Amino acid sequence: MDNHQFRAGVKAALPIVLGYIPVGMAFGVLARQAGLTPIEVGLMSLLVYAGASQFLAIEMILKGMAWSPIIFATFFINLRHSLMSSTLSLYFNRNRLRTLGLLSAELTDESFAVAMSNTSKIENRPVYLFGLQITSHVAWITGSVAGALFGGLIDHKSYGIPFALPALFICLLLIQIKKIHHLLIMVIAGISSLFFKWALPGNWYIVLTALLASGIGMAIETKLFPSPSMGEGKGGGGK
Amino acid sequence: MALVTFLPRFFPIAFLNRRVLPEKVKKGLEYFPISILSAIVFPMLFSNGGGKIEIQPQYLIAAIPVFLFAWKVKSLWGSVILGMVLYWGLGFVL
Repeated sequence: MDNHQFRAGVKAALPIVLGYIPVGMAFGVLARQAGLTPIEVGLMSLLVYAGASQFLAIEMILKGMAWSPIIFATFFINLRHSLMSSTLSLYFNRNRLRTLGLLSAELTDESFAVAMSNTSKIENRPVYLFGLQITSHVAWITGSVAGALFGGLIDHKSYGIPFALPALFICLLLIQIKKIHHLLIMVIAGISSLFFKWALPGNWYIVLTALLASGIGMAIETKLFPSPSMGEGKGGGGK
Repeated sequence: MALVTFLPRFFPIAFLNRRVLPEKVKKGLEYFPISILSAIVFPMLFSNGGGKIEIQPQYLIAAIPVFLFAWKVKSLWGSVILGMVLYWGLGFVL
């Protein structure tokens, strides 16, 4: 274990912690209302660890739905993570399956986005990414169990808490804009996400937008820079 | 639930990890973060939960200074704190 990298990862996760604790609390309160015990809440946050689908599962439990539609919905909500997992594969090509299994089990929107904000830090450095992810996970479990045990200690709709994660995502989005045509991709992706969200149920809008906008991004890049500088050190040498 | 959450997170990285990807695919993958983040941010500001286009004033007005701040100073902490304060303040005004 590389302590220094682990600590750097923990530090990088702190803005996520600020968002995960109150949202986790809100989840704990809701789960309690649906009849889950604090232990069940903790186990769900430990084992599943997927905010959106946990909230949805609770809503479905409250409506008295069976387990199979819950499993089904969870799968489709989390399909978007397969895109993030594919992207991460560019940066880890010398690691054991065990390591990758651990890292991918801990993958969330937020930890992915923070990891991608400085890819030089994650390239073949599983310990850094693990520190980032495990800190976020601990915050999520802590928040949800605290919510289940003590109810909403703080009202999760006050003190600007609802805007903590949106503000984080806005900053992470802007960090991704490194060239002028990235702004165009952002607008295209933004508009297409609004369209797909309106047109289709569930989380398909994220998956479809990612496929569409990266296709357009690639096309623009080939037009703008006809002879691409191969590699640019990204993705390592591979095998 | 744990299993169906884990599988889509695990399979792509496990599968792609040991393969040499064509340069085109790599280029495409590099656009995933920006596309995914846009698809997370835009609906938060311009859509209600159900998918209808509907401006969320408290989110949108708080978002503009955060955009500008994040553009100039790429600070996660700064953006989060600024966003929370603005959103909180707007709650009293709107």
